[in-house]
Amino acid sequence: MIDQLTEGFFMAMRLDTMAMMSIGLFAGMLVGSLPGFTTLMAMAILLPISFFLDPIVGIPFLLGIYKGGIFGGSVPAILISMPGTGAAVATSRDGYKLTQQGKSRKALDMALFASVFGDTASDVFTILMIFPIAFLVMQFGPPELFAVLLMSLVIIAATSGANPMKSLIMMMLGLWLSFIGTDPLGGVERFTFGLFDLKSGIPLLPMLIGVFALPEVASVVIRNEKGRKLAALMGERLSRVEFRRCLPTICRSTVIGTAIGIVPGLGQIVAAMMGYSAAKNASKHPETFGEGEIEGVAAAEAANNAVNGPTMVPLLTLGIPGDNVTAILLGAFVAQGLRPGPQLFEEQGATVFAILVAMVIANLLFLAIGYLSIPFFSRLVTIKTSVLIPLVIMFAFAGTYVYRSDPVDLLILVGFGIFGIVAKAARFDVMPMVMGFILGPSMEYAFGQTVAMSGGNALSFFLTERVGALAVLLVTPVLGFLLWKRLYSSPKTA
Amino acid sequence: MFTSMARKSLAALAVTATALAASMSPAQAEYPEKPVTMVIPLGAGGSHDLNARIITSVIPSYLGQAMIVRLTPGAGGQKGTQEVARAPADGYTLLFTHNYIDMLQQYVENVPYEPLKDFVPIARVNYAPASVIVRSDSPYQTFQDFVDDAKANPGKVQLSHSGNWGAFFVPAALMMKKLDLSLNLVPHQGGGPAMQALLAGDSDISLAFPSAIGELLKAGKIRVLATAGTTRIYDDVPTLEEVGVDGDIGFMHRFVLAPAGTPPEALEKLSAAFADLSKDATFTKLMARLGESVDPMTGPEYQALRESQATAYHELVNDLTSQ
Repeated sequence: MIDQLTEGFFMAMRLDTMAMMSIGLFAGMLVGSLPGFTTLMAMAILLPISFFLDPIVGIPFLLGIYKGGIFGGSVPAILISMPGTGAAVATSRDGYKLTQQGKSRKALDMALFASVFGDTASDVFTILMIFPIAFLVMQFGPPELFAVLLMSLVIIAATSGANPMKSLIMMMLGLWLSFIGTDPLGGVERFTFGLFDLKSGIPLLPMLIGVFALPEVASVVIRNEKGRKLAALMGERLSRVEFRRCLPTICRSTVIGTAIGIVPGLGQIVAAMMGYSAAKNASKHPETFGEGEIEGVAAAEAANNAVNGPTMVPLLTLGIPGDNVTAILLGAFVAQGLRPGPQLFEEQGATVFAILVAMVIANLLFLAIGYLSIPFFSRLVTIKTSVLIPLVIMFAFAGTYVYRSDPVDLLILVGFGIFGIVAKAARFDVMPMVMGFILGPSMEYAFGQTVAMSGGNALSFFLTERVGALAVLLVTPVLGFLLWKRLYSSPKTA
Repeated sequence: MFTSMARKSLAALAVTATALAASMSPAQAEYPEKPVTMVIPLGAGGSHDLNARIITSVIPSYLGQAMIVRLTPGAGGQKGTQEVARAPADGYTLLFTHNYIDMLQQYVENVPYEPLKDFVPIARVNYAPASVIVRSDSPYQTFQDFVDDAKANPGKVQLSHSGNWGAFFVPAALMMKKLDLSLNLVPHQGGGPAMQALLAGDSDISLAFPSAIGELLKAGKIRVLATAGTTRIYDDVPTLEEVGVDGDIGFMHRFVLAPAGTPPEALEKLSAAFADLSKDATFTKLMARLGESVDPMTGPEYQALRESQATAYHELVNDLTSQ
């Protein structure tokens, strides 16, 4: 393996690989930062280009788009409170507050450094531990996925606000909203009132933009400060001291993100939220989270990027794509004559390691590209609000429309915008609702599968075959209660 | 190395440039005057998406226009299908779909269109036959072993598939019906997770397409017990028909439809482009690498197949839901 790794390392040291990877990173960052365009779309559209390139050029190019896209998503989340994907929701919480305080450059720098750190560490870990990870992945089935998702929701509800009832109400609302449409298992229509447009459920993007961006727009408009700027300045760059202060958080989030990446079906959204909750719990001043705590940005971004390494493992070792991004990569691999599967490492070991090494190099390149482009992005918030706000509104509506070209989505956007404004005024946090909405369908599916697998006898099924999942389910309520108690009901004397 | 890459990218650029040049040539009022949109009623990264990426990177040289992929997933494929059913029948909006969405769904749900009336087929691109597979450490050496065990333990044998009324659910349901078996069918979100459930030991048996089987079979991880259709794919593995499960149901056909009423000259031009495409060397090479076959069928040929599918699926759904 060491021989293959060294050979792969030298194979990846090519100028054209670096060049195409940089192009991919830049394109991904651009696409990711435009709400409505997804990294997945960009990868699918640019996939045919990789068919005509050398494998060690074409695949790193696609990986570049992917990595750039994840960071790109955090840019509008931080600058205008407009998370384009679920993975950027946790980032926008403190990121946008930092922007309002005139520290947008710091927030973006931190997002970049934490992303690159989390990604690099998880990639290196994946390269070294690829076979043990491949074994671990096989230990997780629908019952485990269900248990972990339920635990994640409980943790989110418990750590997101002082009033757990409010959080739970919002989360239930989110879960209910996720039921609207066609039931994923049985194909039965639920709460659609016979409307065809509701049959495929409520789309995520209009909801995200509606509840997170539009209320912020409204509050600027209501304050009616003509000629003012959203933030007087973009602030200074991140200092070494600040980075060092966040380093333990970044490391913790990297471990959490990598672990979540190993469980098939969880992904970046859960990782970001869990990294954020863990950082808040570990902090000596949890009350600063949500008020512009730079550690919050670091925690979310390190975690959602650390997922990337392990998600490649089932693809490389078994040829099984776990999600749509890895499915596109599978297409790129096979079109190059590299057939992911158990024999890939025996037959093409050096090439695969070259691609994995290229993933690590992509991170380093990205550090440079990102660091140089942040000042340009940051400048956006120093535009006068009388110009910026119409721009944000345009981004919100155009982004929603290009996503599926469906005018109904605009109604959904406005509906959730109004809901977000009301919820903000009533001091209800929309985050648990969004998380319930995003994780609900996966949890429901895993639950249905678990019921089917157990053959109707859940108790003996869990006791004899799924003790691990059972343990997680039993620990969950206790964990939720303890977290909430620690964060909110203890007197803050210290 | 670098020059070969440069050459290949130049070739790719040339294709795009040809398409662009063609699109900018003066209007001759002859179809196609502008790029053609191909709607896929499924999500990004699936097998239809990957197939379409190859189709659209080669077909401009035969169509004289670019072809754009638009993914419109939702409502189990109904959203994209409805979009094309309602699109103007001018040859500029096509649907790239498969037979379960096209012909089976209408009997399971209330769909907002009439598949046989609202669409005309242009060409079938290829098809994939489903195979019944087990882990190599499975006690089932033959299909009969599986049938015997399922008969002895009704409802206990777990079969993982890619989703209800999907490409693997239907053959599995047909096996249950024809062989009078009772299996525990567990849905997964796609073929990948269903395969993973089999390999992880969660399920006892599953189905898969050749492109997903190849490497795992070579590595000795799985064993094939039966394959769809009437002709054997592997010399020593029986077909589903041989083991008593007959009917044209274990296949997923990928094909292109146009809204009914599309002008004949547009249909001709499109049919010709797809016929030429299936003979193109780059196209067949890329499809082979994806593990996909190229089995072209003309529109009228496929229409006959569609009509027979409609009858067969209607019967199957009635049988399965009547109990």
